[in-house]
Amino acid sequence: MKRLWYFVREAYMSLRTHQVSTVIGIITTAFTLTSFGTFLLLYHNVHNLIGRVQTNIQIIVYPKDVIEPQQLQDLQKAIQDDPAIDSLTFISKKDALKDFKQQFPDEAYLLDGLGTSPFPASLVLNLAKTIPSTDLVSNLVNRLQQNPNVEKVRYNRDWIERLTLVITYMEVGALIVGGVLALASITIIANTVQLAFYTRQEEIEILRLIGGTNLFISIPYLIEGAVIGGLGGGMALALLRGGFEFFKHKTHTLSVIGGFSSVFEFFPFSLSLLLITGGILLGCLGTFTSMYGWMRFRL
Amino acid sequence: MIQLFHVTKYYEGCLALSDISLRIEKGECVLLTGPSGAGKTSLLKLIFGAEHPDDGQILVQNRNIARLRRADIPYHRRTMGFVLQDFKLLPHRTVFENVALPLIIRGLSSFESRRKVIEALRAVGMEHKQTTHASVLSAGEQQRVCIARAIVNSPIILLADEPTGNLDPQLTTEIAELFKAINARGTTVMMATHNRQVVEQLNGRVLRLDCGHLLSDQRAYG
Repeated sequence: MKRLWYFVREAYMSLRTHQVSTVIGIITTAFTLTSFGTFLLLYHNVHNLIGRVQTNIQIIVYPKDVIEPQQLQDLQKAIQDDPAIDSLTFISKKDALKDFKQQFPDEAYLLDGLGTSPFPASLVLNLAKTIPSTDLVSNLVNRLQQNPNVEKVRYNRDWIERLTLVITYMEVGALIVGGVLALASITIIANTVQLAFYTRQEEIEILRLIGGTNLFISIPYLIEGAVIGGLGGGMALALLRGGFEFFKHKTHTLSVIGGFSSVFEFFPFSLSLLLITGGILLGCLGTFTSMYGWMRFRL
Repeated sequence: MIQLFHVTKYYEGCLALSDISLRIEKGECVLLTGPSGAGKTSLLKLIFGAEHPDDGQILVQNRNIARLRRADIPYHRRTMGFVLQDFKLLPHRTVFENVALPLIIRGLSSFESRRKVIEALRAVGMEHKQTTHASVLSAGEQQRVCIARAIVNSPIILLADEPTGNLDPQLTTEIAELFKAINARGTTVMMATHNRQVVEQLNGRVLRLDCGHLLSDQRAYG
């Protein structure tokens, strides 16, 4: 307990003594985390948007024109059992005709002379609520096409492929941007802590003289780094929230993306917590890299 | 207690200690004398684990210091006290906080720490200044606090490097008396000094060094 009090007090005293470098450390961490957070927010919303659009992706299966009711039932069952499928709607030949007449009442007279419906029956499939991958959809379509009771399968291949590509680019982008910004943040915090290290070199020497282990000497600095990182993360979160609300308010009236503004959402609580935790971890990592180099060769 | 076997140490190619062999028993008072650059501080640093010998072996309480793992050195240091010429106190901390530091490192309870700190401060006559900041103390008082910090852990060995180097003759006498009292309680004292007054006052075993060579080893009289 006495030790814990000592560590906290030492960290607090160091932060107070080096106020300027502490504030610089917090601001720079906040800046890097805000940049990363902006990208993450964009990714999060595009991901959400795609998720919503994806529910509109449909695969239409046309069964053979001449098919026994039992065979049709078997086909429906086989499709429904597939984990990639969320729902299935059967549209009979009659229903297809009815739909056409409802949608194009002016052209309905064209079909008046025909005895039976010229439209094929179809099964409209909605995909499960996971982001579709090209492979997943291709496999599903291949399976369906190989079914002897299926005449033809139609789906929007280009759309799915583009969607998958956008997600892949965003994921790779998030990794690269996140990595670069994290590295920048670590360097900045490492420098801040190193500054505190140099100004307190004599104190550290005294601690070594009286038997302080590297861990004992390091803990207050690790707390210091964690505080800088945590506060930076908190500040970044506040900036992102403010920026997000401002953006949402401004875009609400714009016709181009106004329709989407209700879809935009801020990070869920878990992601917000992750941003602050990330800040704390970056702070600790910055301190660790700074101290490891300093203590490695000292007896 | 302390044994050195053919210890040699170089600093960037310059010889600091050459083939030193000696044995120091428990409770002895050993004074290292000689001119500046004789190797007195190097010898203390080797025993303290602040340096590794280039050749030879050092046994402190049957532990080979030369083979000590880096992580074990702090624990080795906790068994001894170290007093320096420039005090090495934390200026913005009180006397009590400075003396309590080795006990915090050891993780002692507040009650036990307080008891030991008061005891150590009483031994050096600084009990009444425990709430004073180290920066406002006189040189003699700072050295007393430094000694209190070195003995608060009840070390078996007390090493001192020119502890009276910055003090006037009156204060030198007082500090030498403190070391004498600490030694009388059974602590092995090993002090580097070139102050004749201290050598005479402590009346211990005198090791005379010059250019890294042990020139003489005079046992204490009576």
